Amino acid sequence: MVKLRLKFSKYGPIRFLGHLDVMRYVQKAIRRAEIDIKYSEGYSPHQILSFAQPLSVGSTTDGDYMDMTVLSCKSPEAVMDSLNNAMNEGIVITAISELPEKSVNAMTSVAAAEYVISFRDGKVPEFNLESTFRSFMEQNEILATKKTKNGEKEINIKPLIYDYEILPGNQIHVLVSAGSSSNLKASLLTESLFSFAGEEMKPFAAVYHRLETYLSGNDEKGYFIQPMIPQKIPALSFAATKSSSQGKLYV
Amino acid sequence: MNEKLALSDEILLSISKPERYIGGEVNSAVKDLSDIKIRFAFCFPDVYEIGMSHLGIQILYGLFNEYEDVWCERVFSPWSDMDSIMRENDIPLFALESQDPIKGFDFLGFTLQYEMCYTNILQVLDLSGVAIYSKDRTWDDPIVIGGGPCSYNPEPIADFFDLFYIGEGETKYRELFDLYEKAKYEGLSREEFLFQCSQINGIYVPSLYDISYKEDGTIKAITPVREGVPSVVKKELCLDLTNAYYPMKPVMPFIRVTQDRVVMEVMRGCIRGCRFCQAGQLYRPLRERDVKKLKEYAITLLKNTGYEEISLSSLSTSDYTGLNELLEFLIDYCNEHKVNISLPSLRIDAFSLDVMSKVQDVKKSSLTFAPEAGSQRMRNVINKGLTEEDILRGAHEAFVGGWNKVKLYFMLGLPGETPEDIEGIGDIANKIAVEYFETVPKEKRNGRTIEIVASTSFFVPKPFTPFQWASMNTKEEFLDKASITRKGIMAQLNQKHIKYNWHEADASMLEGILARGDRKLSTVIYNVYKRGCIFDAWSEHFKNDIWLEEMEKASLDPMFYVKRERTKDEILPWDMIDCGVSKEFLWREWENSKKGVVSPNCRQSCMGCGGANYGVGICFQPKTGVN
Repeated sequence: MVKLRLKFSKYGPIRFLGHLDVMRYVQKAIRRAEIDIKYSEGYSPHQILSFAQPLSVGSTTDGDYMDMTVLSCKSPEAVMDSLNNAMNEGIVITAISELPEKSVNAMTSVAAAEYVISFRDGKVPEFNLESTFRSFMEQNEILATKKTKNGEKEINIKPLIYDYEILPGNQIHVLVSAGSSSNLKASLLTESLFSFAGEEMKPFAAVYHRLETYLSGNDEKGYFIQPMIPQKIPALSFAATKSSSQGKLYV
Repeated sequence: MNEKLALSDEILLSISKPERYIGGEVNSAVKDLSDIKIRFAFCFPDVYEIGMSHLGIQILYGLFNEYEDVWCERVFSPWSDMDSIMRENDIPLFALESQDPIKGFDFLGFTLQYEMCYTNILQVLDLSGVAIYSKDRTWDDPIVIGGGPCSYNPEPIADFFDLFYIGEGETKYRELFDLYEKAKYEGLSREEFLFQCSQINGIYVPSLYDISYKEDGTIKAITPVREGVPSVVKKELCLDLTNAYYPMKPVMPFIRVTQDRVVMEVMRGCIRGCRFCQAGQLYRPLRERDVKKLKEYAITLLKNTGYEEISLSSLSTSDYTGLNELLEFLIDYCNEHKVNISLPSLRIDAFSLDVMSKVQDVKKSSLTFAPEAGSQRMRNVINKGLTEEDILRGAHEAFVGGWNKVKLYFMLGLPGETPEDIEGIGDIANKIAVEYFETVPKEKRNGRTIEIVASTSFFVPKPFTPFQWASMNTKEEFLDKASITRKGIMAQLNQKHIKYNWHEADASMLEGILARGDRKLSTVIYNVYKRGCIFDAWSEHFKNDIWLEEMEKASLDPMFYVKRERTKDEILPWDMIDCGVSKEFLWREWENSKKGVVSPNCRQSCMGCGGANYGVGICFQPKTGVN
């Protein structure tokens, strides 16, 4: 029995699939690829497969992850290749690694996510992104209204923003807290920025691309976050540009 | 995958289920336009999830795309949210694979599965920018062709179609495509092309027939308008089903659709001859697929799709002679590969219960019986060979096996129905409950008890059935009968174990009008569409008042179509179509039904329906002789 972690990209029209449909799509591809995946016991067995962090409909990614348990495989790379052959364009497995048997499930271990936010033609903010974002971040508190099941709630999102930079072409590159305990949706960040700048955000103005997803850990230097597969880090990622070892960032 | 999308991100993000419109599904066909001579847009005129669940579209889609010169793409009715956006923004309707506008296609084909989709056909034509009436079309429009069960009485929608394909699609499309390519090459007029199409067996060209009427509104004559046009168009039939094309790589929707599984058609046609059933006549004679081939199909289909469920499809799967062998094989294979087997339309008996206990969770699944009528007398009238004894014996065995949920299906408004026939519905439901209590002692019930759901639908007479001449009930009669049924159930000793559901009557009335309608109805369909009617099959969209108003404006009486019993000599609107079963046979069966005489099924002895003229199938197998 082998636990595998797979990193995947999603782009093109397939970005309009909902999270559950992406899961169904991958489950069927696994069966077409005849991967010897483990099934749960019981009357309606299901594949031992979990996805790290849902991505909202319409967004693209280069850094999403899933974990699966297989009963046997030639090599992790063989699993990656056969799965890629069984899928249409649009979703591509880009890296795979074997996990220690006792590792935590991908779904529950996510700590941060990194995005590049750009704007559709004609919907670029009129304010200066560079200077506005700087003063946005210089506030003592960044209050944002979060919609929850029980209505609206005002929260301080400043501690959830780990790093940022403004890229050429009016793009915002951010690293934010993610996962079950304290999740910051990239869209909430964009909305608060516009409201801070006093500008109305046009509908569907922003385009979200996820660059990387991170786990957390502790070592002698303290609490850090690290890409879920630290071997294949996108060049643009803070984990590539600012880290000294294996993509670790001490935040 | 085609990266191009016809719709902007803003639109796709603001509508429900954008996956309905982006194409790109696994096994969808993308071709290089430079090799293509014919672009075919295949439309199921309802929402994506319904259309993608239809086996026929998968068969013809796969078959057409086997042809190197043809690119067949899919199109469905845009849901109401999308419909409004397309109208507001002047976005032309497009095909899913290429995302190109339909207007530029060579063919636009509609599969016509139910009458209530007729306004959706107009929606698709209109949104595509294709002229709605056939007479207004030029070579700038695609050839609009219809097929499927409703094309056997295409008259209410005849004015909107250039061609109808009568019969099974596997046989004549290649010939039609060749004729089209030749016509284009030779620069034929559209009119001349349509005439030449009428020379292909199975192709009905409505514009080549003149319909004249008597003063009482019935048809005086159906006359071909040009020499050489056949006076009757004969159904096309796939003669060798086992070796016919079958799609081994069906298109796999991204979203969950109604039929989210491998569908394997085991046979076509039905031996039973239930007198209300149109499919039972249209697909005669019964032809089976070879069981060895089906085993191979099952493995290949499951491998190519990755589906976790397989379903056997036919009108009456229990009558498939290879069923035992096929199921034994499937149970082994599917257990090993974690695949569920779904078995619709199985008769409940010891064999099927044994199979079901192996493939389903007995505690969760329910048994389905379709007695269709409440009394034996009425079941004889409709030739439904299921007796009360069969039902109670099946139920008994099922209760022993651990089942406790039963579904019962009935029809109300059958010809000659009396209050006693209807009261039989409550009676039979009660007897099933009694059977449960007698079979399963209290200490073995484990806190569970019998749950019965009885449902009734309203009977709608269909063309090419023995009941095509029959009077249909009115809305008031239907609702009275539903009320008698409800009271009959309430009066039963075990009524608290019986739940009763009944259908809406307005939609059944309209279905009745359209099913046996004539060409005069096309104006009504056009006018209700112009007043915003689409998705009539969806109760939340169905606007009955508008239909009634437009019928009245056109001086057409719903009762003429619905209530009136037809005489033997009346020319029926669909008399230019020959479905393979003779009118004489249907009339004999109509007479038998009035006398309550049961007819044997095709395996017992031959009733001489006319299906044998095709020279294949059940007609040429030895008969058991027993009735």
